Amino acid sequence: MQITGMLHGAKLLQFAGFPTSEVLGPDASEDEIRALIGRCGSVFIKPVFKGGVGKKGKAGLLGRASDLRTALKEKERLYFVEHRVGSTVAKANGVTFEGAVPAEHEVYFSISDSTRFRAPTMTLTHHGGMDIEEVDKSLVAQIPFDALTGLKAFVVANALSELNAPKQIISPLVQQLPKLWELYHNFGMTTLELNPIRMRPDRNGRLTPVACDFKCGFDRDDPRWERLNLPNHLFAVDYSDFELEINQLRTYQGQSDVYVINPQGTILAPTFGGGANSLVTQMLGDDAIISSDFGGNPPYAKMKEVARICFKHWLKQSNVLFIIGGKSNNTDIFETFRAMADALREHFGQHGPSPLYVVAGRGGPNLIRGMGALRDTLEALGVPYRLFGFDSDMSEVINHARAVDAWMKAGGRDEVAAKLRIPVAAAA
Amino acid sequence: MFKQGVGSFKYHVGISSLDQIATRDDRVCVLNILGGESSDVTPVGHAYSGGNVVFGTSPGRSGQVLETPVGNVPVYNNVREGLEVGHRFNCGVVYLPPSGARDGVAELIRVNPELKKIFIVTEKLSVHDSREIRAMGQQNGIDIFGGNSLGVADAWNQVRIGGALGGDSPAEALRKGSIAIFSNSGNFTTTIATYLRMAGWGTTTLISSGKDVYIHYAAPEFAFALANDARTKAAVLYAEPGGYYELDASFTKPVVACVVGRWKSKLTRAVGHAGAMAGGHDDAEAKERWFMAKFGVDDIFTPEHPVFSPMGAVVTNIAHIPLALTAVMQANAARPDFEPEGSLALKPWFGSSQGIVLPPELDLPMVTAASPYDKQIEHMNRQIGAIFPRQAMKDASGASQMDPKTQITALHGTSMLDAAQFPVESNICLSLLREPGSENERELVNAAVGAEINLSGTPALAAAQAAREAGNAPNTVLAAACSILGPRSVNRARQAVRALVEHFAEAGLRSAVDETFDLSSVQFDGAAGLFVSDQRDTKAEALLEGLQARGVKSVFVRYLRTLNGHPSADAVLAAVATTLAWEPLMRKRISLLTVETLPWWLRLFGVLIGASTDASRHRDDAFCGIPNEEIVGSRSLTEVAFTALVGSEPTPDNLFAFQTLVGLLLSNGPGTISAQGAKGAVSADGPETPERVQLNKALIGFLTHSGYAHGGNGYEGIAFLIDQFKDVGLADPGDPDHGIDLASLAGRYVAEYASYKADKKTAGSLDIRKIPGVNHPVFKDKPVNHDPREVFVRELFERREEYNVFHAYYQELVKALYETGVSRNVYCVNIDAVIAALLMKMVWQPYGEGTLSKESLETSAFTIFLYARMLGCAAEIDDHLNRGRNMDTRTPASQCQFVS
Repeated sequence: MQITGMLHGAKLLQFAGFPTSEVLGPDASEDEIRALIGRCGSVFIKPVFKGGVGKKGKAGLLGRASDLRTALKEKERLYFVEHRVGSTVAKANGVTFEGAVPAEHEVYFSISDSTRFRAPTMTLTHHGGMDIEEVDKSLVAQIPFDALTGLKAFVVANALSELNAPKQIISPLVQQLPKLWELYHNFGMTTLELNPIRMRPDRNGRLTPVACDFKCGFDRDDPRWERLNLPNHLFAVDYSDFELEINQLRTYQGQSDVYVINPQGTILAPTFGGGANSLVTQMLGDDAIISSDFGGNPPYAKMKEVARICFKHWLKQSNVLFIIGGKSNNTDIFETFRAMADALREHFGQHGPSPLYVVAGRGGPNLIRGMGALRDTLEALGVPYRLFGFDSDMSEVINHARAVDAWMKAGGRDEVAAKLRIPVAAAA
Repeated sequence: MFKQGVGSFKYHVGISSLDQIATRDDRVCVLNILGGESSDVTPVGHAYSGGNVVFGTSPGRSGQVLETPVGNVPVYNNVREGLEVGHRFNCGVVYLPPSGARDGVAELIRVNPELKKIFIVTEKLSVHDSREIRAMGQQNGIDIFGGNSLGVADAWNQVRIGGALGGDSPAEALRKGSIAIFSNSGNFTTTIATYLRMAGWGTTTLISSGKDVYIHYAAPEFAFALANDARTKAAVLYAEPGGYYELDASFTKPVVACVVGRWKSKLTRAVGHAGAMAGGHDDAEAKERWFMAKFGVDDIFTPEHPVFSPMGAVVTNIAHIPLALTAVMQANAARPDFEPEGSLALKPWFGSSQGIVLPPELDLPMVTAASPYDKQIEHMNRQIGAIFPRQAMKDASGASQMDPKTQITALHGTSMLDAAQFPVESNICLSLLREPGSENERELVNAAVGAEINLSGTPALAAAQAAREAGNAPNTVLAAACSILGPRSVNRARQAVRALVEHFAEAGLRSAVDETFDLSSVQFDGAAGLFVSDQRDTKAEALLEGLQARGVKSVFVRYLRTLNGHPSADAVLAAVATTLAWEPLMRKRISLLTVETLPWWLRLFGVLIGASTDASRHRDDAFCGIPNEEIVGSRSLTEVAFTALVGSEPTPDNLFAFQTLVGLLLSNGPGTISAQGAKGAVSADGPETPERVQLNKALIGFLTHSGYAHGGNGYEGIAFLIDQFKDVGLADPGDPDHGIDLASLAGRYVAEYASYKADKKTAGSLDIRKIPGVNHPVFKDKPVNHDPREVFVRELFERREEYNVFHAYYQELVKALYETGVSRNVYCVNIDAVIAALLMKMVWQPYGEGTLSKESLETSAFTIFLYARMLGCAAEIDDHLNRGRNMDTRTPASQCQFVS
């Protein structure tokens, strides 16, 4: 959950009373753009990507215009532009027009929670305007501060003194930057980055810090961001239909984290526990349809609903239903296995049987009753299976599931389909 | 701001050695102790630790207790209350929901000056709260574990605090040894401990650190405490991507580090652990490098390529930890703590290839599970049949379900439309065994129920006849007979079923029709007295003969024949019932309780069909003119029931119509009055003591909850059709060349009805009589409406090329109603019309010939409903018996209304 760019960033900053550059959205009229150019001398035209896409400037995805004609031409060029970072392709939908802020000094500022300092930490340099990683470490101040008192003016002042920052920028920054802590801490952010902040002189030469780009990340587990009334569509792009459906079940009792790895995968692996999730996701690779963590002792009803949604979306294409976790501490295996078994039986009841092989590896409370419930269901459905206890090497169980998947791909699926009396066309 | 603790850390750390993390002297206060998770986990930990929890809090529940195996733990509204009573503690455990965890930490710190450690189990803490928790702990010099931690445990001290390490039997995972575990994953903390035992390594202190962005007790302080713990020779550290915690840890003892999550760098969102997101230079590969540098190795340790130094090894698979540890320890001249307890080889505990030939490498043979799981499996395998969880079953059913859109009910997953194509005997199987049954099963039902139908000379018949002669409706007549068939009448059969199930299951019987099953493997040891006596039992002999004549297969009947002496009728009935139930019982589709009650049901069904017929038709040797031997030995139950209902033998068409009617009427879901009556009767007896529930009384509940309006109303349609067809000279309702102009017949009625309606309206009366069989509150408002059930039956009979003039008339009627403007659209012909038309077709000829009076027509229409619904209600009763709670159908007073 991220927001980048000034279109929404400016509104959030105004909320905290921090000065921002002037910004117009994709629906700005020609008169408005002309007026903005008139006031600021020139405008930057930036494509709008959902979520966060960095390094647009480097990719040439930044336009600058000092007349309306150029501005509109840049708008046309950038409106639906595609941006590739690694293997991820993002497509823009719209542009912003941001008034240029003439300035001598560019400042980089961010707050995030540092795992080195184990505290909220400010990163500050007056050599901003470029990637912070590219700035010499000696020119960057990283200062942890107390979460209970927050980012105080003296923290900023001390940092700027140590950096030997130009005198004229110190006072305005000391006044303005602490405001950003309120925005960061009270609205559920995990990162907040302004780069650059341009120091705009007024008539008397006094400088005002003006945020010219914005980036923040929100904490999914913190409802404080909802206070901002941000439009839902800002984050919606991140989730597939399946993920959205599962996310609706997200409560603190029982995990329900999912991520679609490969919509064409053939192993459906409901995984229990963060550790198991890491191991399974790593070992299954692209054979896995989803990466999931359903641990945390989900109650029966929730587990059954999660399983129902998984089966609805993925069972048809799955060769292997792979239920895997370590030796659970508190997740009740009877409840979770019974829920998945019941969901599977109901799915077969409603949609007919599907050629499937079930592999499970698990330990924990009520293990045998849970495995018994699963066994009885699989026997009744006629589905082949192997269930392993916690005394089998988990990685070998994963390899076994992969071997079964390979066998299913190499003709086994047809054999299982024939055994389940599924017509060939339906089984494909 | 932080309070200076031990070591030279730039933050507070209060623990100098691992042996201080979970000690026998620690005293614990648990916040939200009565919450769902804590109430499961705390008692186990408390007992394992010798009773370390002094009290818990739960606002508003002061005075309650948490029961544990070593005594009750008191509960107070808040921490202060507990302290005021005199309790003292140094450890706080937080089980609060995420929104309350930070405040819980504040409460613990503010109120208790003796506090030293806090364990936060809560998951999904916001980073906002975590950073404030961190600051509070630092200011006040408190060591915090978590959040999202499963707590800590110490195998030497036998203590666990703040979580569920080791699950419900901590001793199983925690065996005293020389290895400490620090893990980002709670589950893996226990799993790693279990794996280590396999290789002969025990544990000292185990820490589930959690994997939030803030890990309050992290790798550097673990390394410090590890160095100072004399008990611990080495450590296993499990780390996931995200965070720089491990970078700053400096180890002085050997360590096996397991880093998992290279793949995670491809994810754009955290799954599982909130902090496990590789962002910058703290991804899995980076962490592998940090550890390799610390240990002086240049690669990952794998069994094929074991790379390690005396300082340690890095693995990326938790299953490689034991091997890596043993190698590292060997380099330090240290041997395992004890003999290896097993291996991690693949060991399927359960499995089946379902007859598919798998490649040998996949076709793993089953392995006996380790103790105590082998015993548990053995015990589970001994448990026969399904066990359903009990719950309040008011207005709920595990047997039937009506789809409100189509109004089609399904019984045990079979739609009534499908059930309409089964004979009555199949629907008996469906209602109690949940499946329509095979040919063999139908024959068993035909014989067993058939043997009960002739009631000549029985008190049940006398009771029914007396009720009939007193002018009662058929439901009341049947109830009279039903009440005679009390629990004592089936007690022996019930015992016989139980004995058969027990002994044959023990002997490993898989199929009840297995003709080759070796009966000598069944040992009854004198219990055979349940089945035979030295007296001949003619009823038993008749049934045995009937079963033989039908050629049915049954291991149990075969068994009875091998016994010395004469089998009793109860024993034969029990043998039939056990044969019927064996397969679904073994597949755990039905419960043992259902099987035990099956003889009672078979008997009840027979008696009710018999009692629906006048006493004059029961003779010692025949029922309704059909000789007893034929009923038991060759007739189908559907035929006999038809004859009982109509008085004459059926034609094939009539037989089909009859079974269609029974199928359609089986059930209308748990909300119908008849089902409610049946369920109420079970509820009142108390299904939690199931052997006391009187099934015959439950059927009486159904019977008393049917009547002229519910069940008897089928007659309205019949009366209507008789009225319409009385003067048209209809000879054969199945002949399409009947020569009657149905359109004008319908038109005539509609004209009459229109003028009746107009008169009523003119007179200002809104009490307009409805035409039976047309329109439906759900299937309306389209230009042309159809009741899908009617469509189904019409098409079913069209396929059979069977014509029904009454059904055809109804179609004309709805057209005429629309064409003359009486209805705004074309009404549907509803299911009641279908029932009336089918019934009329069956009885038209006997009615025309005068063998069936108008009065008996009404009785027949009601009775056929009772035949069908008794099966549907038996399913509800059995379901409620298995799942319900005592008195669960009552309505709380607050939901009842007083009307003045």
